[in-house]
Amino acid sequence: MKTKKSNRERKEFLYGLLFAAPWIFGFLAFSVYPLLSSLYYSFTKFNAVTAPKWVGLQNFKDVFNDPLVWKSLLNTLFIAFVSTPINLMVALLLACIVVKDFKGRGLVRTAFFLPSVIPMVAATMVWIWMFDPTYGYINNVLALFGIKGPAWLLDAKYTKWALVLMGTWNTGTTMLVCMAALQSVPTSYYESAEIDGANAVKRFIYITLPCVAHVIVYQAILSIINSFQYFQQVYIIVTANSGVKGGSAAGGPENSILMYPLYIFHNAFTYLKMGKASAMAWLLFIVVAILTVIMTKVTKKVTEDAGGE
Amino acid sequence: MKRKLMSSMLTLTMAAAVLSGCGGSGSEKPAETAAAAQGESQAAESTGEAEVITFWYNNTGDEAKIYEEAVAAYNASQSKYKVEGLSVTDGQKIIVAMSSDEAPDVIKHGNQTVIQYAKNGLIEPLDEYIAKEGFDTGIYSDQAVAANEMEGELYALPLDAYTIQMYYNKTLLEEAGYSEPPKTMEEMYEMAVKATKVDANGNIEVLGYPLFPYASARQELIYGFGGRWWDENSKPTPNNQGILDSLNMNIKFRNEFGGKELDSFIGTANTNRYTEQDMFFQGKQLFRLDGSWLPTMMKNFNSDVEWGITLVPGTEAHPENRGVSRFETDSIAVTAMSKHKEGAWDFTKFLTGVEGARIIDLGTGNLPAIKALYDDPEILAVPGFAEFIDALKEEKGVQYPQMADYDEYMNLVNAALDTVYAGKQTPEEALNDLADQSAGLE
Repeated sequence: MKTKKSNRERKEFLYGLLFAAPWIFGFLAFSVYPLLSSLYYSFTKFNAVTAPKWVGLQNFKDVFNDPLVWKSLLNTLFIAFVSTPINLMVALLLACIVVKDFKGRGLVRTAFFLPSVIPMVAATMVWIWMFDPTYGYINNVLALFGIKGPAWLLDAKYTKWALVLMGTWNTGTTMLVCMAALQSVPTSYYESAEIDGANAVKRFIYITLPCVAHVIVYQAILSIINSFQYFQQVYIIVTANSGVKGGSAAGGPENSILMYPLYIFHNAFTYLKMGKASAMAWLLFIVVAILTVIMTKVTKKVTEDAGGE
Repeated sequence: MKRKLMSSMLTLTMAAAVLSGCGGSGSEKPAETAAAAQGESQAAESTGEAEVITFWYNNTGDEAKIYEEAVAAYNASQSKYKVEGLSVTDGQKIIVAMSSDEAPDVIKHGNQTVIQYAKNGLIEPLDEYIAKEGFDTGIYSDQAVAANEMEGELYALPLDAYTIQMYYNKTLLEEAGYSEPPKTMEEMYEMAVKATKVDANGNIEVLGYPLFPYASARQELIYGFGGRWWDENSKPTPNNQGILDSLNMNIKFRNEFGGKELDSFIGTANTNRYTEQDMFFQGKQLFRLDGSWLPTMMKNFNSDVEWGITLVPGTEAHPENRGVSRFETDSIAVTAMSKHKEGAWDFTKFLTGVEGARIIDLGTGNLPAIKALYDDPEILAVPGFAEFIDALKEEKGVQYPQMADYDEYMNLVNAALDTVYAGKQTPEEALNDLADQSAGLE
């Protein structure tokens, strides 16, 4: 009896393995192999075509001694820790609006969500025009209030804030998640608070925020991790600016929007330094892994505090 | 236990299969490619079929059609080879193709990229083919040949030439009280200050000084002062007097009219460059350092600006610097991994020869690199070409350095200039820092 069961189990296991084989092959070929390759290349001098030459830890030394690596890391951290909270606040604010019952709610929801379905490339091109110092909408609106707008994408003081502004436009998905969280807050809480005389602000601070805190923290983690992959927007802006035939730095004015992934890309495909690019990618992997562990612990604590599991 | 063992073995087997299948992109590749190349060529010959040559060019739209026209002309001119052209603008795709045995036989790129590829062993030196056939490279201008050489070896043939000279708006110049364009930087500065117009809020309406495009401010304005970013041995030389003098003049102008106001003008000029709203086409720039294609564009956009072309100014102390400009070529190169090198070379000769280059130059509005086309009536009839060809004949082009880290260096240069224009560093400080930063570049 025991042998029979064992045979069946083995057969099931083999079938399971067979059905999972396409994924396993894909995982090995497209995840594990590139991962191990890049680890190997990070110890070599490699231009992607000719044979790699072993250089030991030289690429890592180059990475640590390159001021632009640190600058790109700081730029990326700016997006992660400045843009993320602003985006979350905007998303929560929008969710608070669209969760109310009013005429035309569906239309407003659609309007708020619409930017999220526009391809990033097209959206960025539109934003470049909106940031135009003379004809752009943003400076024209500022001019109505008597404010002389800056050259957003040419002045290093404003370039990162331009990206932050762009980010707030694309918070539709987060707004939906926040909206779902808001809808799950029991109305009885609000009713009790109202009886106790709590005004709208107090209700938001003492009821809404704690009840949706776990969702916000989870979204924050995702956004921060995504920030380390911030590429498309800056690549397009920098490419558009280098229409001056190499007239601006590869990371925007004073390399102020040189994000870490963009610098990896430049090293790999512009400077043909695949070894250094691989070393940078592995360091990024380590940083993101550490951040993920920290964030997971924070989420767990916030969820537990909110009474969840 | 058995199950664990089996799953481990299966996993290992799959991993080994995948790893071995994907491996082997190492040093054996050139030899394998060469053998494959010979085999394929012989096979094509024995069957009497035309050998297929793949050609990637980085042009799109109407320009891509011109390249296809040139390809068709080559295919019609002989039956041994059949060239298949493809528009590939993504440099990353070329690198990936070269690393995965899918490389094209012939590529068209700027000479800067050609030199970078040559430094990395990605393209074939042509000296062997040239010597074998006694091919005369003297048909091209000396500077066009030099632009594609590295350490004495020629890596590509020049297809067309690219240089920058100075356009001026005749009406604005007259309004400022001048009848002739400037010959020196000092004269140009004086005219620029007089011609620059600002509105009541200090916004610049007409820019006199050619700070836009920035790339020209970084190059031609500096070359006029005798400055160079690199020496004859391609070593970075950010600390030289010519660069400093030029930057000081730029800063003087910025201080006079306001850095923020200039940035606003330049930002808008950049967004609208080469569109109908281009600042020069709209009569809002007195001087513009730009290429030979500008008059054709202005004509296409129905710009009514009356323009003239003059050489980039020198200085009072060094009038001989007049007309010095960057010099680049579009170049045709045979890839190191090509499987049809003989055919690739044959097509390269055709495309850069009189017949091929004529199609490309007239179609894309670029200047010829081949001297025989300097006097071609149809070429000379293109607006602005006669003036630019005169400038080319002076052979005062500044060649790009043969630096493997050229792009990194330029990134540092541009970032240093940004800090100067933003007022965060003086030109001296920025150039000193740049010297330190670029010390380790190769």
